[in-house]
Parts: sequence; C-alpha cells; structure tokens
Amino acid sequence: MLKNRYVLLAFRLIVGGVFIWAGVSKIADPLSFAHNVRNYQLVGQTLSFLTAIFLPWVELIAGLWLIVGLYPKSSALLISCLLFFFIVLVAITMARGLNVDCGCFGTFSRRADIWLIAEDSLWLALSLVLLFSPANDFCLLKRESIKA
Amino acid sequence: MSLKRLLSDRQIWVGLALIFILSIVLGVASHPRLIKRFLAGEFRQAFILKEDFPQLAFISLSEAEEVWSGQKAVFVDSRSREEFNRGHIPGAISIPLEDLKNGQEDLLTRIFDSPEIVIYCEGGDCQASLNLARILDSRGFKKLKIFLGGWAEWMQSGLPVETNAEE
Repeated sequence: MLKNRYVLLAFRLIVGGVFIWAGVSKIADPLSFAHNVRNYQLVGQTLSFLTAIFLPWVELIAGLWLIVGLYPKSSALLISCLLFFFIVLVAITMARGLNVDCGCFGTFSRRADIWLIAEDSLWLALSLVLLFSPANDFCLLKRESIKA
Repeated sequence: MSLKRLLSDRQIWVGLALIFILSIVLGVASHPRLIKRFLAGEFRQAFILKEDFPQLAFISLSEAEEVWSGQKAVFVDSRSREEFNRGHIPGAISIPLEDLKNGQEDLLTRIFDSPEIVIYCEGGDCQASLNLARILDSRGFKKLKIFLGGWAEWMQSGLPVETNAEE
C-alpha cells in the first residue's frame, strides 16, 4: 500500500489526534458519556458505566501510541475495529429511528446521523491504510519483521 | 501485507493486550470514587450525581398513581405528539423531547407554574423522560419526578387513560 513516509506520518497524526481528542473529552465527564451510551438503548446501566470508564482510555492510548509509534499496528487495528463498530452502531441506531447524541467528543457531541457515518468512514479509510502499510518510520518501537 | 499475516504477528496481540490492560488500570485509577459509588448501588436508574440533582426522584407505579389521584403534580409526557394522541395519562401535558430539542420553547409555558412535575415516556428502555428531566432542570424546574415504568406500565395496570385530549 502507501509507502510515502510523510503521508503515512500525516495519517497517523490525523487519526491519532482524533482518537486522543475523543478519549480526553470523555475522560473528563464519564457520567455524561455513560448517559450517551445508554441513550443508544443497546446495553444496560452496568455495561454503559463500564464502557464510559474504560473506552475513553482505550481511545486515548491507541491514538497516542499510533502517533508516537508504539505498537502502531496494534493501535491501527484497534482503531479500525472501533471505527467499524461505530459505523455499524450508528447505522443500527438510524434504522431503529432513534435520535441520539453520538457521544463522540464529550460536550462537543453531535447527532448520530449519516454525516457521522461519513466522517467515521473517512477515519476508517485512513486507519486501514496505516494498518496495511509498512510502519517503521518515526516510530518509538522500530521493527524489521513487519515490513510489507 | 495481508490481514492473515498481520494477525499472525505475535507483536500485534501483545500491543492490543497492553492497551487493554493499561486502559483498565488508568480507568480505575482515574475514577475511583465513581466506581465505588456504582458498586455501592448508585447510578442504577440514571447516570446523574445526586448532588447535582438534589430534588430529582424516581417513582414507582403506585407512587405515580398516588400523585396523580391526589393531583399533587403535573404529569408531562415526553413522547412524540402522535404517541401522546394515541393515548396518555389523563391530564398529562405533551412536551415531546424532540420538539423541545428542536427549539419549540413555547411548550414550556404550560408548566411554568407547576410546583411539581412527573415526567414519563414509553417505559421499558426509553430514555426520553430522563433526557427531558435534564433539560427541564437546566431551565430552572427543580422539583422533578421520573416515572420510569412509563406509559406501558400505566396502561397495563388498567388505570384510566385519555386519548386525543389536546387535538
């Protein structure tokens, strides 16, 4: 896939930055995020609470590690899976006719709609490029074995 | 690089495990009080801090019935107008959450003088009453009660219902 190291670095900064922002904005107010999760009406109180406590940290660490290049493939895989899950989640929510705040960025939330799916799809595309491209430049953890 | 080759790389799984473990550690470390309160039984009905909503209460069907028959509070139906018209608790005022969120502030004029408000939605898993309570609280309505059983529970219990009263 892509080999230009600067383009790959830019992708890492963008996707990583989005996830760092998503994580930080939710860590500050876990109860609001738990409320947002509950609004999707897919999981109950306990799972909503656990999601609100742990998911923001997963997002933050994955985003941070993607940028600094610590286990960047793990981060890219995790972020891709999360984005895929978010897209399916929003699609299901729309199909059920529910009108909810997405809960994506804490108080800077927005509606879970088709535009959110479009946005997430863009991040997913960048993240997949990172997952399937050689990632050895600008990385804290240099590895030879993972070259394409 | 194929997905198969990626997934057979041990290093990827090590990284994933580290991210999850670190997230659990940091999650617990960053919110010990909330977790303690959750384990003690809080937040089982709503994710709100008691100290932020000191007057908000959750009421059961029998309590709702008592408040209703004693006319101690105004009932507010947070469902859509169509659902309201099909049937609602007698005397309830329709304030559809979606309409209020879309800027129909005049809906609130009918409850300005209400000393106490009971909010309900469909029941079951519905979240509209909670969301409406948050909005009403932010507009200065403090004496709020939420009837979580909602319309479904009210109807099943055989209590009086009203249809199309507003139209």
